[in-house]
Amino acid sequence: MNILIPDEWLRLFLKTSASQKQIADSLTLCGPSVEKMQNSVYSIEITTNRVDLASVLGIAREAHAILPQLGFKATLQPLKHSPLHLKSTVGYLKASVDPVLCLRFTAVLIKKVKIDPSPDWMKKRLQAVGVRPLNNVIDISNYIMHELGQPVHTFDYDKIKGAKMALRASKKGERLTTLDGKTHSLPGGDIVIEDGEGRLIDLAGIMGGENSAVDDKTKNVLLFIQTYDPASIRKTSMSLAHRTEAAELFEKGLDTELVILGIARGIELFSRLTNGTPEKEILDIYPKPFSEKLVSAQFELIEKRLGITITKGEIATILKALGFEPRWKGNNLEIKIPSYRERDISIPEDIVEEIARIHGYHKFPSKLMEGGLPTPPKNMPFTFEGKIKDLLCAWGGIEVYTLSLVGEDSVGNKQALKLKNPLGPESEYLRISLMPSLTSAVNQNKGNDDSFHLFEMANVYPPRGTISSPQLPEEKMVAAGIFYKTDFRKAKGIIEALLDKLNVPTEFFPDEKEGYSPSKYLVIKSGGKKVGEMGILENKNLIYWEFDLKLLKAQSLPTKKFMPIPKFPPQIEDITLVLPERTRVGEVLATIKKSDQLISNVALTDIFKNAFTFRIHYQDPTKTLTDAEITQIRKRILVKLQGAFGANLKS
Amino acid sequence: MTTEEIINTKNEAIAQILKARSTSEVEELRIVYLGRNGKLTQLIKRLKELPSDKRKQVGILINEAKINLTGLLSSQKNRLSETVKQWFDPTIPGKKPKPGHLHLITQAISEISRTFEQIGFSRVRYPEVEWDWFAFGGLNMPKDHPARDEWETFFVEGPNHPKFGQMVLTPHTSSGQLREMQRVKTPPIRMINIAKCYRRQIDASHIPMFHQFEGLVIDKEISIVYLKGTLDFFAKNFFGDKRKTRLRPFHFQFTEPSFEVDITCGVCNGSGCKLCKGGWLELGGAGMVHPTVLKNGGLNPDIYSGFAFGWGVERTYMMKSGLSIPDIRLLYSSDLRFLKQF
Repeated sequence: MNILIPDEWLRLFLKTSASQKQIADSLTLCGPSVEKMQNSVYSIEITTNRVDLASVLGIAREAHAILPQLGFKATLQPLKHSPLHLKSTVGYLKASVDPVLCLRFTAVLIKKVKIDPSPDWMKKRLQAVGVRPLNNVIDISNYIMHELGQPVHTFDYDKIKGAKMALRASKKGERLTTLDGKTHSLPGGDIVIEDGEGRLIDLAGIMGGENSAVDDKTKNVLLFIQTYDPASIRKTSMSLAHRTEAAELFEKGLDTELVILGIARGIELFSRLTNGTPEKEILDIYPKPFSEKLVSAQFELIEKRLGITITKGEIATILKALGFEPRWKGNNLEIKIPSYRERDISIPEDIVEEIARIHGYHKFPSKLMEGGLPTPPKNMPFTFEGKIKDLLCAWGGIEVYTLSLVGEDSVGNKQALKLKNPLGPESEYLRISLMPSLTSAVNQNKGNDDSFHLFEMANVYPPRGTISSPQLPEEKMVAAGIFYKTDFRKAKGIIEALLDKLNVPTEFFPDEKEGYSPSKYLVIKSGGKKVGEMGILENKNLIYWEFDLKLLKAQSLPTKKFMPIPKFPPQIEDITLVLPERTRVGEVLATIKKSDQLISNVALTDIFKNAFTFRIHYQDPTKTLTDAEITQIRKRILVKLQGAFGANLKS
Repeated sequence: MTTEEIINTKNEAIAQILKARSTSEVEELRIVYLGRNGKLTQLIKRLKELPSDKRKQVGILINEAKINLTGLLSSQKNRLSETVKQWFDPTIPGKKPKPGHLHLITQAISEISRTFEQIGFSRVRYPEVEWDWFAFGGLNMPKDHPARDEWETFFVEGPNHPKFGQMVLTPHTSSGQLREMQRVKTPPIRMINIAKCYRRQIDASHIPMFHQFEGLVIDKEISIVYLKGTLDFFAKNFFGDKRKTRLRPFHFQFTEPSFEVDITCGVCNGSGCKLCKGGWLELGGAGMVHPTVLKNGGLNPDIYSGFAFGWGVERTYMMKSGLSIPDIRLLYSSDLRFLKQF
């Protein structure tokens, strides 16, 4: 969360020679980051663990610890107040309090207030932090919250029926209307306050009730300051989606000791600005008062984590400046934690952080690790995946990254994981195939005259497990691509070349599959297992392919086989065959290849109508083949082809 | 007549013939040297003036010069004649092969992993769909902790894991920290985990799916100094020698101390400009691994310590290249006009 701190307000508490920019830079380097500086107002990011910084006083306290480290003088001007008469019971209010929900409960009656506009100095400061001034009573509450970081509530005392309050957990379905006019049906377990007539008058820690609010006619005000159980406040605020500044402070766990400072400041401001008369006795129900918290840390651990040498004296100086009370006992440091850091500081590492940041990270040296190297995990797929991408790119492929979250139409009737809280119906499932994403990627580029090839490599997430034994989905790395306006042989050639370069021996088998045009689909197998597929998509002139990379990698041979270079030249000849219609040329090629072991290579070189030209290499490793020997082989080939396909030599 | 005279005449002729730029110039030179009154012809005529014992030797020399020049004249004439010198236009543009394009994110990931591999990190891959415990609980962020607000998490429908809670889409790569500790068991660890992450957000600078890289180093004696060293190494090697990093105090539940890491702005070199905050750009979070997280990963925090950092791939790469892509959603569109630029 970000807070606004006007420089002029800050300097009421912080006396320093540092300029605004020097304060901003110093805080950023050693404390909370000042994100922006505008019109002499600091905008500061407060992390969830440091709610003690969410106020003018908090920032003053922090700056006063940091500035001297960077060479600026700084002193802290604390808020002074006269002693307060704190009582666990008072005459003007009967209160019963659930001690789990409310850690400290204070209230004081201020009589005969005069509702007026606030003085200009207060209005200006409130406006500077983005709060609209309304009247003195409401403004005082907001002022104290920004000054001290302690939310303050005020009731119209005369609207608390029977001058009685019961602070308790709500029951599910109880209703309450807050100051902003919104009526909430409570989820149950929320902190509420009930008056003597059983009316709910406050959604505690979040927003006051409409029925007990201060208005123009209010005469007597109950100044009301508490520390609530952070988890309860958060739960209510989140489930009602009612996020107020007060809730954001309470849910981070406030300092119970801060309450008294708030009451004292409240009494002072009410007396001055509303002419009201505060009761002498202040109600303070505080069953478990803050007791000393000690954290200890070993000198050795501090030095080890910091990685620098630092003296015990330096450590003590830093911690003292932050309000800690450090004491060295030999090499053991014992630190008394101030109440406002109680929730944040618990382990030695917390102390290390305090020392490190105030000492200044900019003063730390940089070193690279020494010592043994880790054993890298075996069989990682990254090189293999990179090679595929590089090859496809070299052959003109264009890589895309598409969203893994898809709509129902991309899943169809198949099992897929569904999100509980999707951003919309078009992204409510985890995809199980890249095909819909890639077809829609092509559609984004429709109207392109040129052919192109898009590809992607990404996980798909097919579900696993059962209700009784839930499992994470399989994260299947898939490479897939789609060819647009591309000749089938060109597309297939790229896939074949890819498989060659990956050293995966494969075979293509014609088959049928949903989504592909009839008889235009191939299963790609290696070692008898399906590793991928390709084909022409239905209703679209697009060629799609995909591989399961885990399976493909398993079939990829790690090294190439050495083939001795033949000592004798091969005999090469072209033969042109007339093939009957519907002959599968792939099978013809395979048949030729298998018909004699002296055929070292066979390729399709030309097609003209129904005439197919094949280039055949005849190679004997032990001699140069004679024409007579080749004639023998050729005859055998032709007989086989005639028998199997009805193929004839073109005359 | 001396032999020098002959050699000089020959050399002079060769030089001029080679300089000739047309066949007519060559023809003129032939007349100058070998014509009826040519320079070399004159020398031949003077042969008879020599004493007979020298005449033979000089004769041979002159004859060689004549053969030499005749040959050169004809080859030069040949070279310059239009019939041999065919018209050729070398300014014609080349035919490029149709170029492919690797996506910017792929380029970024390979540069990032290469940089860390140089200092002994190993790239790993862990689930992108995870149990709550790995993404939050085990990282010291119990259920309902306000710190969780930072991660706008997607939850997956289905039964909860009895031990690890509900199924989520990893909102950060930090979930890989616990997986890596469980895998390695005995440090040293130097991990770089790069994966897709998902958060419920969408605008010009946020997308529900993005990429992060997570570094994790665990060993005995790992201190803040090594975190600084590693980040400086990355900054200098990935962004350039002149760039510097700084650590700002921050808070994460799974690290203690925690930092945000800034790098000097590449546009103004750290002096401050419109694109940065006073000379600095925010890279991302880092910190010393929280002892509770080490325990949850099965490691003894009294023996081991470590640091971790997890940053956005897209963001880091944009900062390197100064691409200033106005809308990050463009990266995930499949518009060829965008993809073909890289």
